[in-house]
Amino acid sequence: MQKKDIGLAVLIIVVGIIVYMRNPLFLSPINLGNTANLIGLFGLFAIGQGFVIMTGGIDLSVGSVIALLGVLFVDMVGKFGVPWPLAVALMIVLGVAIGLAHGVLITRFKLQPFVVTLCGLLIYRGIARGYTAESTAGFPFGSNYPQLEWLTIGRSFGVPHSFVAMLIVAAIMWVVLHHTVFGRHLCAVGKNEEAARFSGINTRFVTIAAYVICAVLASIAAIYFAMFTKSVQPSSHGNFYELYAIAAAVLGGCSLRGGEGSVIGIVLGAVLLQELQNLVNLLGIPSSLNFAVMGAVILLGVLADQQFAAYRNRKNTERALGLLQKS
Amino acid sequence: MNVLELKNISKSYGAIQALRDVSLAIEPGEVVGLMGDNGAGKSTLVKVIAGNFAPSSGDIFISDQRTVFHKPLDAQKAGVEVVYQDLAICNNMTAASNVFLGREPTRKIGPIKIVDYAFMRKRSAELFARLKSETRPRDLVHRMSGGQRQAVAIARTLLSDAKIVLMDEPTAAISVRQVAEVLNLIRQLSDHGIAVVLISHRMPDVFEVAHKVVVLRRGELVADKKASDSSPEEITGLITGAIETA
Repeated sequence: MQKKDIGLAVLIIVVGIIVYMRNPLFLSPINLGNTANLIGLFGLFAIGQGFVIMTGGIDLSVGSVIALLGVLFVDMVGKFGVPWPLAVALMIVLGVAIGLAHGVLITRFKLQPFVVTLCGLLIYRGIARGYTAESTAGFPFGSNYPQLEWLTIGRSFGVPHSFVAMLIVAAIMWVVLHHTVFGRHLCAVGKNEEAARFSGINTRFVTIAAYVICAVLASIAAIYFAMFTKSVQPSSHGNFYELYAIAAAVLGGCSLRGGEGSVIGIVLGAVLLQELQNLVNLLGIPSSLNFAVMGAVILLGVLADQQFAAYRNRKNTERALGLLQKS
Repeated sequence: MNVLELKNISKSYGAIQALRDVSLAIEPGEVVGLMGDNGAGKSTLVKVIAGNFAPSSGDIFISDQRTVFHKPLDAQKAGVEVVYQDLAICNNMTAASNVFLGREPTRKIGPIKIVDYAFMRKRSAELFARLKSETRPRDLVHRMSGGQRQAVAIARTLLSDAKIVLMDEPTAAISVRQVAEVLNLIRQLSDHGIAVVLISHRMPDVFEVAHKVVVLRRGELVADKKASDSSPEEITGLITGAIETA
């Protein structure tokens, strides 16, 4: 664990203790289970966003991807009777295709990630709304899919499977980021693309791969969200979710300038965001203030982090100078 | 034996002749100061040697074997390494990670290959020891001095068993104390039998380490002589054109 991760974990625990003291329901099994479910759902695609941010890019299309693929998945399984494993596979293929499209536009055509994925945000949302003609996509009454439901919204020992899925993805991505050659190259490309290229790294491949990872995780999250909400309202489903993902990644120590980040940090970022949502509910703060609370806490968190870093640097310099003077 | 020999290298961009009939031989371990005014063709010559682009005419010999480089990787494989002016290193990574950037060693755990950090640290510590540099493998590069950063960039070249290292202005943007450090690194390379081509504007640095000084003026080689037989005044004259040839 990096220093930043520990700081974030401490913040989560401190906020938790405060909320618990104001409202003991915070630690009730039901509340913990529900919050864990939401952490799982949001954590899944926040990890993907983190990878893109580490390349120095950004993916604004995540929320729209979740809406479009959610609509398609529900329709395929509910309306057209496609077997769910096939539908899941198709969603992942679509995710790969979307990620490839973003990556190629950014690396080959040298478009800015912000622009490419902003257009993605508009296009996918538009297609979702056009395809459904603004009507809500839902499963037919009385239908059920026991295995799919067990995998997505089921629970074992009270732990929601969405949370378990997120932990599995996080573990895999942790190995990928911190212990594979690809992970090394991702950090190198994010920080100094030219240096990476001079070192013989295929920088285009690395960048495209990051967008594919992001879109695939978004497509998996789309299935989990669709199963969780059971119906998908194409104009509102997944709205602003890309911003939750960016917030989680930034809270988790990913630098928007690229090259820095940790998977544990992103997961903790997602935990903190959901904890704040929960705080708003449990402390009786009007839920309309939801975004305001979240924004204020993120701002304070980032500000505090920067101040601490500056303080640490000063201390280190002073110590080094002290040593020099002694010698 | 010459580690590198250029025979009648010319390079033109359209109507502009950047290099004209440049011939040059470099022995193993030799440090060559490549000097010349801006636009004299230094960078072009370096880029030809590094395989960035092919000469319009002329031949390149590596260890007395005629060689054609189609891309920089070919040159790298033949033992030609370049230390770029901005060093081409990643600030967010440790010294060890930078030394191995693009060539990370891996070990297998079951079906997956993971980066062998322990080996990277051990091997780069050895390389830094060989360079007599105090750089520590675990340190992040952005906390390092200019001299230590040079050590990282140079350690990269040792990793690949380079025969010849091209250094583009390695002492341009660093403090006086660090310049001494870098010049020491160049001597270390030379002691290990690696030839160094040092491109620099700084006369004292060149005369401190170079065995041989080569001067380019408007694409032509106007001097190729032992540093001990020359003087900064003569070289300045050659660079500006006050002295025709030597």
